[in-house]
Amino acid sequence: MNEFVFATAQYESGDWDSAPLLPVNLIDSIARYTQLPVSPTGAIVPLGSSDAMRYPLLYLTGHLPVRFTSQERATLTRYLDRGGMLFVDDHNHDVDGMFHKTVTDELEQVAGKLSKVPTAHELYSAFFTFDDGPPNTSHELNGWGDNLIHPYLMAATRGTRISVLYSNKDYSSEWNFHPDNKRFYSVDNTRFGVNIVVYALTR
Amino acid sequence: MPSRAEVRSRVELACRGAALLALGALVWRAWHPPLSPALVLRVPRTADLPTALSAALFSTPTGVEATLDSVPGAAVRAWLFALSRSGSVVSWRAAATLGASSATVEPLPEPSGRVRLTIVGAPGTSASVHDAAGIVDSAKLGTTGVRVLDATLNGTVRVNLSGAAVTTAPRDSLRLRSVLVLARAGWEGKFAVAALEESGWRVDARLTVAPNAVVEQGTLLGLDTARYSAAVALDETAAALAPALIRFARSGGGVIIAPAAARIPALATLLPARLGDTLPAVLGALASESPRRGLPAVALRPTSRDAVVLERRSGAAVTVASRVALGRVLLVGFEDTWRWRMEGSDASPAEHRAWWSGLVSSVAYAPSGRRAVVPNVDEAPYAALVAAVGTAAASAFASPPPLQREWWDRILFALLLAGLLAEWSSRRLRGAK
Repeated sequence: MNEFVFATAQYESGDWDSAPLLPVNLIDSIARYTQLPVSPTGAIVPLGSSDAMRYPLLYLTGHLPVRFTSQERATLTRYLDRGGMLFVDDHNHDVDGMFHKTVTDELEQVAGKLSKVPTAHELYSAFFTFDDGPPNTSHELNGWGDNLIHPYLMAATRGTRISVLYSNKDYSSEWNFHPDNKRFYSVDNTRFGVNIVVYALTR
Repeated sequence: MPSRAEVRSRVELACRGAALLALGALVWRAWHPPLSPALVLRVPRTADLPTALSAALFSTPTGVEATLDSVPGAAVRAWLFALSRSGSVVSWRAAATLGASSATVEPLPEPSGRVRLTIVGAPGTSASVHDAAGIVDSAKLGTTGVRVLDATLNGTVRVNLSGAAVTTAPRDSLRLRSVLVLARAGWEGKFAVAALEESGWRVDARLTVAPNAVVEQGTLLGLDTARYSAAVALDETAAALAPALIRFARSGGGVIIAPAAARIPALATLLPARLGDTLPAVLGALASESPRRGLPAVALRPTSRDAVVLERRSGAAVTVASRVALGRVLLVGFEDTWRWRMEGSDASPAEHRAWWSGLVSSVAYAPSGRRAVVPNVDEAPYAALVAAVGTAAASAFASPPPLQREWWDRILFALLLAGLLAEWSSRRLRGAK
């Protein structure tokens, strides 16, 4: 049976592994809410390696400046052209931060211009319904980072399909906890992560 | 023994007699035209036929004997046919190799609008294909004398074979409906849908995420041939629609079944084969010239008598098709075909697209409709020639051409003049009046 494997992109610059608990937390949510066959462990795949092609959804995050190598750019271009989807989250939650500035520059070189994702986009109803667009994070509400609440996500598309989904909302901090601790939440804050995975698997 | 003067006198008399006879013959021929003049047109090559036939426009020849180095066009054939029906004996023989040739165009059941051009001619013949936009292809017909070309062709297609110019155009158009994909949310369903959409198919999809959560694409309507050309069942989530799939196939629809869906007990009656052993993927083959060897697969054992094995791997069937009542069912043994698109060579996305589109095309329900306007074409000129004027003469035309009527008149007139001139000269030279 072909299982879904949650894969984290490992890039040469910056701190790609800044949210080590996020994969297992999202894997738990997928297993908890859906009947999709999912691998209990995630994968870490070098972005410049052809192994990236084995994982049509890649998660990428970090705090530090990002500069892709030419190999990473080439692989990512091929990856997106063939139907892969890259989910990038700004772990700084800071539009003035170096991660945001450098990674958006790199992404626009590879994938084209990032545009706002409208709140009516099917991403927000792929599994759970989020009428107001992307759910806010406690880091936004606490005024950390750039002290802004970002009401939308950004995306580059291939046709009508999102190929690169970019978030300034710092889901990497919000979802970076052990899944056992979900019992302390009245509403599981990782539900939007399920939507991202289901969208990637169906569009 | 007569003297020289007597001989000369007799020769003069003979010349006068010959002149008078020639004059008499001319007068007689003028007053007695032949009831059926033996006017036989002999044409040494095809290019001369229009001119020769034009010359005979007002006097129907008794026969036409044509030596053809190429098949004449439809207008000339019609002319020959009209002559043969109006009493002329039309016969022909072929110079060099003048073989049967034909070309036909049929629409393919795929959204790209491509057509299948089938050219038949003598083995080894050179053929060039032209459409409204220019030359499309040129090649030699193989040892079978058949060449099949799948291409996008505009307007009337002209095929120049040695000795014939064949024209053809599609007479029918196919009505394609949507394709329904049934799968669990996953890479296989996603990339199968993507491949079909990128090939131009309209795709509805039902991708199951959880028992009460289904991601639907398109307006899912009843599964019947009025709405869908084909359905693709990728895994066990198709079980809910198994009775509908069976009805759909029996009524003419095409159904493609992947190994995971073939394990649904309710679909057993549709299957042309049973699932066998697992065939492991060949490492590194996805980027090779045989990329499907790099996919895991399930060997198939055909069960029905009319099952056709379309593809084998290591001797085992991996794609089997069969008819089910009015429809067709294709059992595909490959799994995880999305890996081909993602992990294969630079050509693999296009190959993956073409493969999925080809699978659907091979089973798709596509009723045909006559085109409102069909251009005038000449699809089998050699056959049309035989139908018009019969088969070629067994041997070369034996008899030399008889002198025609006007030639006889010229000869008689020359004889008349020569006789009178000789007789008159002889008399003047000897001093007589």
